[in-house]
Amino acid sequence: MKVILSDKSVCNKEISPETVAKLLIELGINPIEVMVVKNGKLVPEQTEIGSCDEIQIIRIAHGG
Amino acid sequence: MEDNSVKSTDDVKITPSCSYCEDQAVFYEPIRKRHFCKAHLIENIETRVYSTITESKQIQSGETVAVALSGGKDSTALLVILSRLLPKLQGTRLVAITIDEGIAGYRTETMRAAENLTNQLHILHKTVTFRDLVGKDLDELLIGREKQACTLCGVLRKKAIADAAKTSGATVIATGHNLDDEAQSVLMNALRGDLPRLIRNTGTNQSSSFLPRVKPLSSITEKEIAVYLFVQGLFTHLPECPYAEYALRADVRSMLATLETQYPGTMQNLAESKRKIEQYCSGTKVMGSLQFCRECGDPCSGEICQVCRIRHNLGI
Repeated sequence: MKVILSDKSVCNKEISPETVAKLLIELGINPIEVMVVKNGKLVPEQTEIGSCDEIQIIRIAHGG
Repeated sequence: MEDNSVKSTDDVKITPSCSYCEDQAVFYEPIRKRHFCKAHLIENIETRVYSTITESKQIQSGETVAVALSGGKDSTALLVILSRLLPKLQGTRLVAITIDEGIAGYRTETMRAAENLTNQLHILHKTVTFRDLVGKDLDELLIGREKQACTLCGVLRKKAIADAAKTSGATVIATGHNLDDEAQSVLMNALRGDLPRLIRNTGTNQSSSFLPRVKPLSSITEKEIAVYLFVQGLFTHLPECPYAEYALRADVRSMLATLETQYPGTMQNLAESKRKIEQYCSGTKVMGSLQFCRECGDPCSGEICQVCRIRHNLGI
C-alpha cells in the first residue's frame, strides 16, 4: 500500500492495516486533524483499505 | 471536485454508506455516530449555519454583512455559505474585507485566494494593509517580539476590519471562527483567569459604538469545514501563519484535539459551557463601563484604547 503523507513524502507499507482509522493510529496521526483520500476519493475513517490502495493524507491547516 | 456518481461494487463493500441515503460516505461524525455523503454533508452544514444565524438573530433582513475574509479555509467557507443562504433573508448584502498584515511568505497566496473567490462569487472586496493602518508591516513590528504576534496582530486586525466595515456601510461583521476556535478560546480564557473575556458576547449590539461581530460557523468543526470545501473542489493547500507556533493557542489546540478524539463532544461541551456562564452572569457587571480613548476617540474599556497603547509601546 502506498501512503502519501501531508508533507508529500511517500511510504510503502507491505502489511496494510484493515481500516483508515488503524492506519492513522499506526502513523500517530489524530484523525480530526487530517482528511484521507483513498484512490482519489475522500473517505471516512471506518473505510477498509488493502495492499493495492493508494492513500493520501491531507493535513488541515489551522486558521483562516 | 469529488465524483460520487460512479460507484464500483467493491467500493460499496468497503466504504461506509451515508446514514441518510445509499451514497458512499465522505465524513464520519463521531458524536451522533453518523456518516454523511457529499450532498447530505453540505445540506447539514448549511442548515446548521442558517439556524445559528436566524435563531440568535445574528443577521436579519436588510443588513449589510462585512465578512472578514482572510482567504483561508474558514472564511472561504463562511463567504460561500453566506452567499448561498442570505438570499433567503431579503435585502441583505455582502461585502468581503481582507486585511494584509504584511507577513512574508504567507499572505500572498491567501490574498490571491480571497481575490479569486470574491471575483467568482461577484462580491465587493475591500483590502486594507497594516501599512495603511500603522505605517509598518507586521513582520517589521514584530522584530524581537515574536511571542506577542497574535495579541498585537489581533488588536490591529480587529481595528482594520471594524474601520473598513464602517466605511462600507456594514451593520454587522461576520468572522469565520469555528467550533474548535470557540472551544480553544474558552479554555485559553479560563487558563488566563480572564472572566470578562470568557463571558463577553460580541454578537449583540450592546453599544451603538461597536458593530456587532457574529460567528455563523461557531457550531461547525474545523474538519467539517475542510471536508465541506474539499468535496466541492474549493479546498486549497494554503500555508499556516508562521507566527502561530508562538501562541498559547497552539498548545491548547493540540491538547483539545487529543481530548476530542478520546472523548467526542469535548469541544461542543466547552462552547456550551461558555453560553451557560454567559446566561448565569447576565446582568452582572464584570467589565468596566464604556469609555472613549483620549487619543483617538475610539470606544474602549480604559482611558486609552489597545491600538493606541500598541502605537505607544512600539513607538509608531
